[in-house]
Amino acid sequence: MFQYLKNIDFILLLAVVGLIFLGLMALYSSSHPSLDAGFGNNYFLKQVIWILIGFGLIIILYFLPNRWIYASAYYFYGLSLFFLLLVIFVGKMGQGAERWLQIGPVSFQPSEFAKFATILAVAKFLSRDEANPNHIPDFLIASIFVVVPFTMIIRQPDLGTSMVFLAISLPMFFWAGLKLSNLLLIAMPIFIILASFHFFTFLVLMLILVVYLVLSHRSKLILISNFLLNIVMGLLTPVLWNNLKPYQRNRIKIFLNPESDPRGAGYQIIQSKVAIGSGGGLGKGFMQGSQTQLRFLPEQHTDFIYAVVGEELGFLGALTGLTLFFVLLIRGVQIASMVKNKFNSIVAVGIVTVIAFHMIINIGMTIGLFPVTGLPLPFISYGGSAMVTNLVMIGILLNFYKNRYEY
Amino acid sequence: MFTSEQEFKKYLFYGIFILLFLILAFQFYNLQISKSSLYSEKSVENSVKIVTQFPVRGNIYDRDGRMIVDNRPAFSLYLIPSETTEKTIGTISELIDVHPDDIRKELRSAGRFQPVKVMRQVDIEKLTWIQENIVDLPGVEWKSEPKRHYVRRSGLAHLLGTLGEIDERELVSYPQLEPGDIVGKKAVEKTFDENMRGSKGFSFVKVDAAGRVVEQVYTKKTLRPSPGNHLYLTIDLRLQSFADSLLGDKRGALIAIDTRNGEILTLLSKPDYDVSKLSGVISSDIWDQLVNDPHHPLYDRACQSGYPPGSTYKLVAAIAALNENIIRPSRKNNCPGYFVIGNKTIRCWKPKGHGTLDLEGAIKNSCNVYFYQLGLLIGLDTWSKYSTLFHFGQKTGIELTNENPGLVPSLNYYEKVYGKGKWTKGMLANLAIGQGEVLVTPLQMVQFTLTLANRGILYTPHLGLKLVNPLNREESKFKSESVKIEGIHSQVFDVVLEGMREVVDGGTGVWAAVYGIPSAGKTGTAQNPHGEDHAWYIGFAPFENPEIAICVLVENGGSGGGVSAPIAGKYLKRYFHYQGKYDYEVEKKLWALAAAKKDSIAAAQDSLGIVHSDSTALQN
Repeated sequence: MFQYLKNIDFILLLAVVGLIFLGLMALYSSSHPSLDAGFGNNYFLKQVIWILIGFGLIIILYFLPNRWIYASAYYFYGLSLFFLLLVIFVGKMGQGAERWLQIGPVSFQPSEFAKFATILAVAKFLSRDEANPNHIPDFLIASIFVVVPFTMIIRQPDLGTSMVFLAISLPMFFWAGLKLSNLLLIAMPIFIILASFHFFTFLVLMLILVVYLVLSHRSKLILISNFLLNIVMGLLTPVLWNNLKPYQRNRIKIFLNPESDPRGAGYQIIQSKVAIGSGGGLGKGFMQGSQTQLRFLPEQHTDFIYAVVGEELGFLGALTGLTLFFVLLIRGVQIASMVKNKFNSIVAVGIVTVIAFHMIINIGMTIGLFPVTGLPLPFISYGGSAMVTNLVMIGILLNFYKNRYEY
Repeated sequence: MFTSEQEFKKYLFYGIFILLFLILAFQFYNLQISKSSLYSEKSVENSVKIVTQFPVRGNIYDRDGRMIVDNRPAFSLYLIPSETTEKTIGTISELIDVHPDDIRKELRSAGRFQPVKVMRQVDIEKLTWIQENIVDLPGVEWKSEPKRHYVRRSGLAHLLGTLGEIDERELVSYPQLEPGDIVGKKAVEKTFDENMRGSKGFSFVKVDAAGRVVEQVYTKKTLRPSPGNHLYLTIDLRLQSFADSLLGDKRGALIAIDTRNGEILTLLSKPDYDVSKLSGVISSDIWDQLVNDPHHPLYDRACQSGYPPGSTYKLVAAIAALNENIIRPSRKNNCPGYFVIGNKTIRCWKPKGHGTLDLEGAIKNSCNVYFYQLGLLIGLDTWSKYSTLFHFGQKTGIELTNENPGLVPSLNYYEKVYGKGKWTKGMLANLAIGQGEVLVTPLQMVQFTLTLANRGILYTPHLGLKLVNPLNREESKFKSESVKIEGIHSQVFDVVLEGMREVVDGGTGVWAAVYGIPSAGKTGTAQNPHGEDHAWYIGFAPFENPEIAICVLVENGGSGGGVSAPIAGKYLKRYFHYQGKYDYEVEKKLWALAAAKKDSIAAAQDSLGIVHSDSTALQN
């Protein structure tokens, strides 16, 4: 018995439990039944059920033989692609986007599941002994693993979630051996995209790229193809921008200047900042936040739930949550470093990255640092699919920790 | 797997996470610690809403406390943009007969949770219908707002003026008011607006994001509305109504003023309109009807338009001539019924002529020939100087809007209009009898009469008697303002006033006489380009110790002595009747007795045991 306990990573587990408690508090406060007759759904109770299911899965995953995870990676990946295809054909509309799949009484978001499945597949592919992400064929195949779900999700359309796939791929490639110089080269198009709206910046960046490429002594094929890729990306982005859905374009515009639309889309960001700012150092107290209780906060049980934490528990509460996330992430990287198995290590980094990305984008959004993307906050936001997926990923990490000495 | 390169990667990840942690933590610090008070304020602003409580506007009373105007509840219809559906807009626009696009525009220009007033003074039937169907009309709200109620309205429209929604210009001059507020638009309602308006109260309520009231909030800023002051006018409502019945369908004005303080007892302009129809929501039919009426009922004839004063203005020429020692009062002049000036012949009103008259006689009989000559003797400068001295050509300063200053032409004026030296002596002669370019308002004429009655002391005509605070009944009286017209010799007044007394006592103004109360006056029959002559009468009474001055103008009424003087007489009788100084019955008995006995009035008086008075007015 003691042996079992010794193999449980309590640091990780406690951080997750802490976050879940914080989340349940915020969820209860923002959706308790007395708040309004309109909340017929008891979000709190539903969330608790999802958490229980998630912990059930954690226990199963904890005892699962480590090799099973490796073995089933591609099947999971295939299954997730199948679900995404289903969404395309029989998806349920939600907020101007088809994201949901209804199975019996339960509707879930296959894109949440796909994140995890993609991590497993990419990790399995890159953990082969002969795999080297610095070699173009390996790199391209690994990229295809990511690009396929990315493409299927971006056309749902769900820009936020699809960006998650791009965000997790590079750290995983890097962890699997991609050289930093190559990483920068690959990341270059991202900078080029950002710069493409400003011609002069675009020009300067391209100049830097050319100098870098010439000095890097690579094969001419790579030089030319990379150069062309960047040029095309840079020129194509404004065209793509014009093809974005109006609400997507609006979100980015409003983010850049929320005051431009204080009653419309900017309303969310302003109200969220007001909620957090008015919380002050110690907060207005549990269930005492006027922004939350009077429902000035938009999406206060899902996307903007961290504003509830900020308003009612103050700077202290917000910082506690941040610290718990920080502990979780650092612990995740430590697990990735300590496990002997290469697949496990890459998966751990993928999990850490996906949680980190959600956390940064979501909290960044509630405090006005990032545009409104609709990414939920792991362990805190209301939502079954995300909660279960996140807890499954924690279960995987716990499994890895238990089997950290296995090759 | 454990290489030093892997260690580097691990620390790179640590570094990135630490950096991101710091960035987020810093932003939280920035929002929650540095700018906490700013956002706290905003969150309070969000959830605590001010509810404006409208004050009750002060009532209007006459000088004896008879109620003229008070307030009755009325309901205004509001829409809350955040809750209003297209269906609501459709139903409401049909109900109140406003285009749905206009409602949409108004809703868009307001805040999401800010109720927008779409209609004032909704019919009670419509309101009842809305209340019954409120379930199908999300976003609709109604609030009670006091509305003017006119207890008495005959002959009061021009005096009271109207109320209306504040316009942009008024918003600039009353920065404490808001769009949608109701202010006085004309006359007394406008002049005393700030006194009667009261001040709004503010209460605070906590609302949720949908704008629903959650609870009352009590703060230091909670303020009860304070009602406006009641306004007591100098008007005597009985006399005002009586004057209204005297003028009847005639066009014109009747103003009566207390000579001892400038308090206006009656200020009437006819025709007028139903003031209750113009205060509140004005129907376009009624407005079109009023604007297109050929008799211009919206025009205040008492002070808004200038008229040629006719013979009433001879008094100015007489004063000027006497005071400048241009003539002696005993100066005699023969009136053959016409006057030749240059190659022109101007006729006196009496074709046969008045014969030989002195100044008093010329005033009494209103002889044009005498005053033509006087005009030529005085000259334009002196005439203008005395006109201006008696405040003609300038506003009286009464508490009414749109007052007309009239016109006193000067030498400059004539040279500008006709060219240097081009104007003729005939024009000057005309001015002396109150014709030509000179324009006065009935209000200026009554002010002039008051000044004569007071032998040079001018009280500014005014309508405000006092304000009464409805809460503590505290009164604040309006003070009478007076100026002394300097430089007029007392003997000048003696002569002119004696002439005016004779006007009533056997002169052109006999019909203005009041039995038992000697008075003075002057008739005027002013030619004008708009048809029949304007009939004027000015006068004051009693002759000794004057109390009241009156001016009657009947537009295109004919002769002053025949049309306006009798109206003045009836009015004065009613005034003195109320004062207990005149008895209709006594006069009736006297007439009956005199007729029966074919006897003199004096004998009849004796037989009734009445003390013989100085007046011989009735004998004429």
